[in-house]
Amino acid sequence: MTEPGIRIENLRKRYGSGDTAVDALKDVNMVVAPGEVVGLIGPSGSGKSTLLKCLGAVIEPTAGRMVLGGQTIYDDGWQIKDLRALRRDRIGFVFQAPHLIPFLDVTDNVALLPMLAGSPNREARARALELLQALDVAHRAQAQPSALSGGEQQRVSIARALANRPPVILADEPTAPLDSERALAVVRILNQMARQYDTAIIVVTHDEKIIPTFKRIYHIRDGRTVEEAGEGRALEPELSA
Amino acid sequence: MISLAGRDILHGWGKFVLTAIGLGLLIGVTLTMAGVYRGMVDDARALLVNSGADLWVVQQETQGPYAEASSLRDDVVRSVLGLPGVARAANVTYLTMQVTQGAHEVRAMVVGFESGQPGEPGHLLAGRHITRSHYEAVVDERTGFKLGQQIRIRRHDYTVVGMTRRMVSSGGDPMVFIPLPDAQQAQFLKDNDAILNERARTAANPALNRPGVPGLLDAVLAAQSSNHNVNAVLVQVQPGYRADEVAAPIRRWKHLEAYTRVQMEEILVAKLIATAARQIAMFLVILAFVSAAIVAFIIYTMTLGKIREIAVLKLIGTRNTTIAGMILQQALGLGLIGFIVGKVVATVWAPVFPKYVLLESGDALSGLLAVMLICALASTLAIRVALKVDPAEAIGG
Amino acid sequence: MKRATPLSRRIGLLLMLLVLLAGMAYVALRSGPLAPTRVTVVQAASGSFAPSLFGIGTVEARRSVLIGPTAAGRVVRVLVDVGDRVKAGQLLAEMDPVDLDQRLAAQQAALARAGSTASAVQAQLRDTTARREMTRLATQRTIELGRQNFISTGAVEAKLQEQTSADAALSAAESNLAAARQDLQRLGAERDALQQQRDRLRLLAPADGLVISRDAEAGTTLVAGQPVLRLIDPSSLWIRTRLDQGRSAGLAVGLPAQIVMRANPGRALPGRLVRIEAVSDSITEERVAQVAFDALPPGVSVGELAEVTLQLAQTSPAIVLPNASLQRQGDRLGVWRLVDGSPSFVPVRIGQASLDGQVQVLEGLRSGDAVVVHSERALNAAMRVKVVPALAANTP
Repeated sequence: MTEPGIRIENLRKRYGSGDTAVDALKDVNMVVAPGEVVGLIGPSGSGKSTLLKCLGAVIEPTAGRMVLGGQTIYDDGWQIKDLRALRRDRIGFVFQAPHLIPFLDVTDNVALLPMLAGSPNREARARALELLQALDVAHRAQAQPSALSGGEQQRVSIARALANRPPVILADEPTAPLDSERALAVVRILNQMARQYDTAIIVVTHDEKIIPTFKRIYHIRDGRTVEEAGEGRALEPELSA
Repeated sequence: MISLAGRDILHGWGKFVLTAIGLGLLIGVTLTMAGVYRGMVDDARALLVNSGADLWVVQQETQGPYAEASSLRDDVVRSVLGLPGVARAANVTYLTMQVTQGAHEVRAMVVGFESGQPGEPGHLLAGRHITRSHYEAVVDERTGFKLGQQIRIRRHDYTVVGMTRRMVSSGGDPMVFIPLPDAQQAQFLKDNDAILNERARTAANPALNRPGVPGLLDAVLAAQSSNHNVNAVLVQVQPGYRADEVAAPIRRWKHLEAYTRVQMEEILVAKLIATAARQIAMFLVILAFVSAAIVAFIIYTMTLGKIREIAVLKLIGTRNTTIAGMILQQALGLGLIGFIVGKVVATVWAPVFPKYVLLESGDALSGLLAVMLICALASTLAIRVALKVDPAEAIGG
Repeated sequence: MKRATPLSRRIGLLLMLLVLLAGMAYVALRSGPLAPTRVTVVQAASGSFAPSLFGIGTVEARRSVLIGPTAAGRVVRVLVDVGDRVKAGQLLAEMDPVDLDQRLAAQQAALARAGSTASAVQAQLRDTTARREMTRLATQRTIELGRQNFISTGAVEAKLQEQTSADAALSAAESNLAAARQDLQRLGAERDALQQQRDRLRLLAPADGLVISRDAEAGTTLVAGQPVLRLIDPSSLWIRTRLDQGRSAGLAVGLPAQIVMRANPGRALPGRLVRIEAVSDSITEERVAQVAFDALPPGVSVGELAEVTLQLAQTSPAIVLPNASLQRQGDRLGVWRLVDGSPSFVPVRIGQASLDGQVQVLEGLRSGDAVVVHSERALNAAMRVKVVPALAANTP
């Protein structure tokens, strides 16, 4: 079945072999619709990172099925040859720390991905500026990443993740270092972007401040996921830096 | 696509430039070493060209007059002049000795020459040629003497009347040209104590000091204190004759040795300079290794400092080749700037060296290629590290 | 869209790059094969100079005498020393007479004895003369008596016989006297000869002079020809000057000279060339000339070195160049002329040269030609040159 968004079925990841084998993921099932932002919550050691790495096509699962943006990328074996291109074009990453490239300015940091995908520089930069405007950091377009505040940097990294219009964004603890006001602002932006660009977003977090905002939450424990309805608390339509 | 290497360099330009300067100094030293070797070869060649000779006639079975001592009677030149194909022939003497001016002492090669004949300095940098038959000198600028100064060679004072450039011996000692009879005396006649000693010894010899033969002792002393030897005869060949043609009869019939310019060059370059050349070659190899090590280390350190960025880049989808290209470009950029710095620095400090340093463009070009190659190779270490980075590390574990 | 690093950083980097490129350009233009050779030039102009000839000489005495014995002998005493002035005829030294004095005494004695013998013979002559006189008178009386037949003929013959004997005795005595006189003469001559020999052992000064060397002391044995003393005429000192054969054109008696003594290099003494030796030195290829002082300076010693410069007449006007411009290409002598800024070799014929480096160019150049004097490198026709006022800082 090829529908947009994320679908994960019976994903399993085993490390090691024989007696020392450990199943980091035993049976993971997730569905995320385009435009939806779901939370992935679990204690440390529960397999959150492993799941993210599998979704990010960085490590190979042991068994199961992954469908991203309508494309089956894994079905008991990689279905895609060029995983790196997959990451570049179909998956956006938002990290705990912004991880901006320090020697590129803000615009180039965002424009980098389209350039890598082959866009001419002018087009790539135009698109970057668009995204920066949408995220209300366009006034910092020429600045070096080190000159930005934490919140601004995070917004730029979100813009980067969106630069190639990927169908999927994986966010790994994006609000961990932020205070509640800014954390909520980030979540607000993510929701906004998801609606605007029809992107399916998974947010891995254990930040109590933002968990109430999710409409749907997946709990992961001991390598298994359990779906839950979230509170879905409304967010003030206020964007602040 | 923007140049990641360029952006990275621009961002940390201070460190990069300083490193390039450091590397540049090392390259400058390497180029200078090569220049020293070339300078030595050029010294030898300059010596041969400046003498204006096509043939060098020296003592039989010697490789003189530069590589080995050679001694001829000074009337040999007359019989050489009579041979077919000889346009001009003249006596010359060479002796490396200390020349003083006031308190300033210089080691120089004193050349005794005949005015207007081969052996005379060709073009002058300043002043005039020697006109008097005694006690005038033309010096090379490397002696540090100035026109009009009085310099002392052995027992006599000479007035500096002319100056030359690039007239040096094969060992790099600057030349001082004086009239031939003065040079013969300087080479032969010792200081006063030695002369008196010699006279006393001769007077004490009963075979030479016979009372029944008045005037014998005086004649013997006079013979002892005169010198009729020279070191070589320089020959210019008539147009239309080859140097070998003229050399052959000299070797066969005159019991002398004659070397053409090609042979002299071989003697000087192959034999005289050979040891120095090997030393310099070894030094160059060591320098190449050191440069490679330094570049490798610098690039490696720069790469290690970017491990996190490299992981992120890999994760978000940058090709391995792009990342490797970035590192390679940085290494080559370092090498290029270092080379330019090195070449400029070497040119600036070359004249300060006591010996002649000849920086040839061919050497510079090969140097550039070598530097580029070394940088490329040196970057492979860092590239390997970069390629091994696991993109998963960008996702906090 | 314009690119992004802060402007100041860009400018800074650009500046550095420019500096580097400027450095490369400097390197290429100044010292590489692209750099032009710097030269100095002079305009060929007509002029004349006073050439001179230069030579090194030693002070010698025109006349010097070696005083010594004419036969082997031993010196008894030397009466003068170095530096003494002597007069003609002065006794300077004496050789050992050995037995000469004794032989002289013996000869003197023999002479005396001969004189005595002569006196004795003289007396004998008087005696025989008187006897003959007496006999003659007696003979006359006898002859008279014989005529008067007072005595026998026999007695007269006997008296005549006595007369003859007395005559004969007189002749004999006369001859003896002559012989004694001749003997005296002979012995006198022999004595004179010995005296002369004795005189030769006294060495006298032949003329006024100065003793410059004392070569033997009392007790030294010398052979004929070895000197005891050397004398010179101190007013006859001149300088035996050697001039390079190749650079002695115009050498003539009467040329004015400037003499600089090695001992006193600051002063130039005037002199004149008085004689050119007919025999030159073929080994050293030098001509020899004698130069006299106009006024002999005090304290000049034989053997002192001097530098002599002889002044020749002013040359007639011709193009004059510094001798540094002369170069050789193959076997041709010439100069490098700048034609439209490019060097080209022009063979020339040169005339006289002066000691301060000027030389006449008789053929090959016209007045106003630009001629290269000094150059950084050996020139060739394809070279690019740049004219500068001077090439080396050469003030001492």
